[in-house]
Amino acid sequence: MEELKAKILEYLAGVSKEKPRVIAEKIGANKKEVDKACSELAKEGKIEYLYIGTSYVTLAGRDHTPGKIKEE
Amino acid sequence: MTEAKKTPLLDELEKGPWPSFVTEIKKAAANSPSAQDLLGQLELSYEDKRGHWKHGGLVGVMGYGGGVIGRYSDIPEQFPNVEMFHTIRLNQPSGWYYNTKALRQICDLWEKYGSGLTNLHGSTGDLVLLGTRTENLQPFFDEVSNLEEHPFDLGGSGSNLRTPSCCAGPARCEFALIDTTDLCHDLTNEFQDYLHRPMWPYKSKIKISGCPNDCVASIARSDFSIQGTWRDDIKIDQEAVRAYVAEGFDIQGLVIDKCPTKCMSWDGNELTIDNANCTRCMHCINKMCKALRPGDDRGATILIGGKAPILQGAMMGWVIIPFMKLEPPYTELKEFLEKAWEWWDENGKTRERIGELILRLGMRNFLRAVGLEPVPQMVNAPRANPFFFWWPEETVQD
Repeated sequence: MEELKAKILEYLAGVSKEKPRVIAEKIGANKKEVDKACSELAKEGKIEYLYIGTSYVTLAGRDHTPGKIKEE
Repeated sequence: MTEAKKTPLLDELEKGPWPSFVTEIKKAAANSPSAQDLLGQLELSYEDKRGHWKHGGLVGVMGYGGGVIGRYSDIPEQFPNVEMFHTIRLNQPSGWYYNTKALRQICDLWEKYGSGLTNLHGSTGDLVLLGTRTENLQPFFDEVSNLEEHPFDLGGSGSNLRTPSCCAGPARCEFALIDTTDLCHDLTNEFQDYLHRPMWPYKSKIKISGCPNDCVASIARSDFSIQGTWRDDIKIDQEAVRAYVAEGFDIQGLVIDKCPTKCMSWDGNELTIDNANCTRCMHCINKMCKALRPGDDRGATILIGGKAPILQGAMMGWVIIPFMKLEPPYTELKEFLEKAWEWWDENGKTRERIGELILRLGMRNFLRAVGLEPVPQMVNAPRANPFFFWWPEETVQD
């Protein structure tokens, strides 16, 4: 699980935000495992869930406030 | 506080005999700067004929992805007190039963951390608290979830399971055929993680009605509509039927002729029901509740696919399981929900609800995935169009 969490964090460092399913595809992991890992990462405060029409995950601390957002 | 402005357009909404949300916001504005700016921004929206709210941003509480909806004004320089005006959803008690202490606790906290404006209840069913700033979210949640006597959890938002909701159920209604409040509470606890952390293509809703009257409109408002029903015969008290008629009740015009399947007849002395052709619409029982009662073999019909418009337009749920016994711990229902969500999660596109996915990939694919056999009740519109297409290998070719 720790290895998977590290991969997720590494992937999210390179994007603004992403759906867990896309993360699972991109890093070649099982979607349910990615969901679990994301839950743990959120509880640890390393990632945050983001809702813009639909839900995404993003690295903690990134500012997605409308008007301030700068998509990468 | 921003200077109070005139609101001639909003004032129009106070006219007439009905309660007005404008009146209530004006009352709140006496003590709440954000309520005052809310009135100002709303008036401007009516003048401009467009909303001035931006949707989104990163707001929430630690570890959660649901329960908080971010709202920002696009004209914060004019209305600084609604620069941030986030909404919090609290998970309501099943059937919306509160005591006054619980409500007072929430209102006190909401005056401390928010605008003081509430909406009981939002369309999802939650207790909705309107308008707070980002920095107030975590302290509010920490307090409301640790209230000594009546702690509250956050409700659902985003690509989550939305807060399950149900009708008032057996506590108040003679027609409740299942214990809606217990089922709602049980499902909420069972799937709590799905409520709090988004992991699906889009939202998913469960709404529960105790009988086919469907007072909470679960068929139109939820992906999974659960409606209490029965599968044995309607119980008839013939003496009570005759008493209705003796008192001048037009049984032919009000009941017999309005039966959607014409399965009832009245010979002047006795009421007969062809129960095999009854669709359990409840009309006759509603009209003659002293004479007719639902049967004793009770459970629920499960419908799938109801939703408001986005991708495919508004859809009503259709029957997927005509009858399921529903008793704690509701294992069969939970297994069905898990299988359906798993198939949807694997195959759904972003913002595609499960009903839309079934339309796109076909009912037979869905049924195979969840292990259900096709039955005649699975039609898109009753007596109109067949909804299930057989697999080629299962058909006999001439």
